[in-house]
Amino acid sequence: MDRQTTNVLLIEDNPGDADLVRLRLVEGASPVNVSCVNRLSDGLASLTRETPSVVLLDLNLPDSRGAETFRRVMEHSPNVPVVVLSGQDDEALAMKALHQGVQDYLVKGDISSKHLERAIRYAVERQGLARALEIAQKQQIDFKNQFLSHVSHELRTPLTCIHQYVSLLLDGLAGTLAPEQTDHLKTIFKSVNQLHAMIRDLLEATRAESGKMRIEPRCVALGELVQQAVAMLRPTADEKKIGLEIGVDQRLRLVHADPDRVLEVLINLVDNAIKFTPAEGSVMVQASLVEADPGFVYLSVSDTGRGIGPEAKALIFERLYQDPDSVDNNRSGLGLGLFICREIVRLHGGRIWVSSELGQGSTFTFTLPVYSLAKLLAPVISYEGRLRPDFVLVKVELTPLSNPPRGNWKETWQECAEILRHCVYLDKDLVLPPMGTSGTTETLFVLASTDLQRAGIMATRIREQLERVESLKTKCRVNITTRPVELPLPGPDESLDQQIQTVADHVTQLILASRQIHAGARNGAQTSN
Amino acid sequence: MSKAKILVVDDDPDLVRALRLRLRANNYDVTTASDGYAAIAQAQKERPALIILDLGLPVGDGFVVLDRLQTSDALSGVPVIVLSARDPQTNEERALKAGAAAFFQKPADNEELMNVIRVSLGTEAASPPHTAAWPS
Repeated sequence: MDRQTTNVLLIEDNPGDADLVRLRLVEGASPVNVSCVNRLSDGLASLTRETPSVVLLDLNLPDSRGAETFRRVMEHSPNVPVVVLSGQDDEALAMKALHQGVQDYLVKGDISSKHLERAIRYAVERQGLARALEIAQKQQIDFKNQFLSHVSHELRTPLTCIHQYVSLLLDGLAGTLAPEQTDHLKTIFKSVNQLHAMIRDLLEATRAESGKMRIEPRCVALGELVQQAVAMLRPTADEKKIGLEIGVDQRLRLVHADPDRVLEVLINLVDNAIKFTPAEGSVMVQASLVEADPGFVYLSVSDTGRGIGPEAKALIFERLYQDPDSVDNNRSGLGLGLFICREIVRLHGGRIWVSSELGQGSTFTFTLPVYSLAKLLAPVISYEGRLRPDFVLVKVELTPLSNPPRGNWKETWQECAEILRHCVYLDKDLVLPPMGTSGTTETLFVLASTDLQRAGIMATRIREQLERVESLKTKCRVNITTRPVELPLPGPDESLDQQIQTVADHVTQLILASRQIHAGARNGAQTSN
Repeated sequence: MSKAKILVVDDDPDLVRALRLRLRANNYDVTTASDGYAAIAQAQKERPALIILDLGLPVGDGFVVLDRLQTSDALSGVPVIVLSARDPQTNEERALKAGAAAFFQKPADNEELMNVIRVSLGTEAASPPHTAAWPS
């Protein structure tokens, strides 16, 4: 190592200082190659071309000054050791530099050739060690994640077998069962499902940890998700004689979120609330707006359970946390549920927390970003600083011909949305973001800045274009309707922004109302089956 | 009307047996294969109306089978339902792109599986009539 040539990139704009450093380096015992540039941009360009053993960096350059200089070098080449050569003996700046990963901070006036040589050697060594440690840590995490994902896959195979045979027996496909036998099998089946949920959580937590958890945020009507979650858990609540109520703020706008993942969070929280609430208690799911935080919608799940102590409160969202006082500890799962919830909410840019006192019940709250329809509409519905005169909402409903839909339903409606985009005038009509929940009727909306008659022409054009797609006929039915957006007259001093917000609110209400009818029709169809 | 024939491809004989029982109870004919090569051979010989396919298979995994089926004139129209223990996040889209009609992760809900089989075979009950309207 000692005899190897050290390649130094010196980034220094003062020719006198540069010569001095070069001299000190050449005086040293080990062979050195020095290339010198006098601007940061040239330094970065040189780093792009080749990797030196070390960068000696002056902080005040013609094109960058102070901490910004080392920040940019390290962002560009995180694996090259950087030694700062500064004109000023600034301890605060030196500490900042070290904390951000600079290997050493030398003051120009104090440098001897031996000193500099050693500083460079140590910097190179330290960087190498840090890098090796980083690689080892990453390998360890990768190995652990790979192991967990392998295990969860392998566990599924025997689990699937148990699941299949138990359900064969339960469905009476292997002969008639005595009531007691059915009872025992149902217990097995329940345990199988618990095990299944644990394996799923294990994989999900592993994903969250390795940064591989993904969300697909879209424009979502939150009220529907709340209703869906509550409908799914209603039987569990009824069984335990627990009241399950919903409170959704009528002013609620749309949110930008992944509906499947938000549903997962809601189900998890409501399920927990039911679990920890004694019989005859109640659970309330609320969605509300908070004036002080207009960019977010607040969702909360409150229960009348025994509450959470301060210690548990601090740890409850951590991985593998289990309530030590839980009465049914043997069946409380892996302690990953709330950790997964937190990660999902975090990926959405929201927050999650709990407020609770022992004996007083608990409230879990999380936030989701509001979907700003106004921002989306603004450039389309206004022209030369004024609102356009007429708006019509065109609704295109795609109802799958089968349940579940044939083929890749997402691909189908996305293709339709693309066709819609070709049927509108881009400068004054807008295809609103799709809002379906997975696998059911997908409703696409176009807000057209036009009157009802022209909107009718547009609707015909859309129908013709959709009908041209042969494959669509076997997959879904298309229904197109138009409806004018009736707006109140603007107040005398209402700003354009306020008027745009009014349009956005009206459109939101129309969309939500039309979807509620849908949800009602769907639920009705389900109960009649 | 004769029974629709379903080819079940999985290397776990116990699971194959359970699926066979369930499918027969649902009035389907069942034929089976336990590796990728046998799956193609069996599909060519038996001409099933539908294939249930595992992904992790010996001698040509599920994706190889999907690929072979897609490139065969006689078999490219046969709907394939993937039933695999693999992670849907990394395999579902790939399987659908490769021509699968649906993806189920094991263990799958039997009712849903039977429903998708009916839909894929075109023998499902019609979906409820369309009742959408604007709110007044």
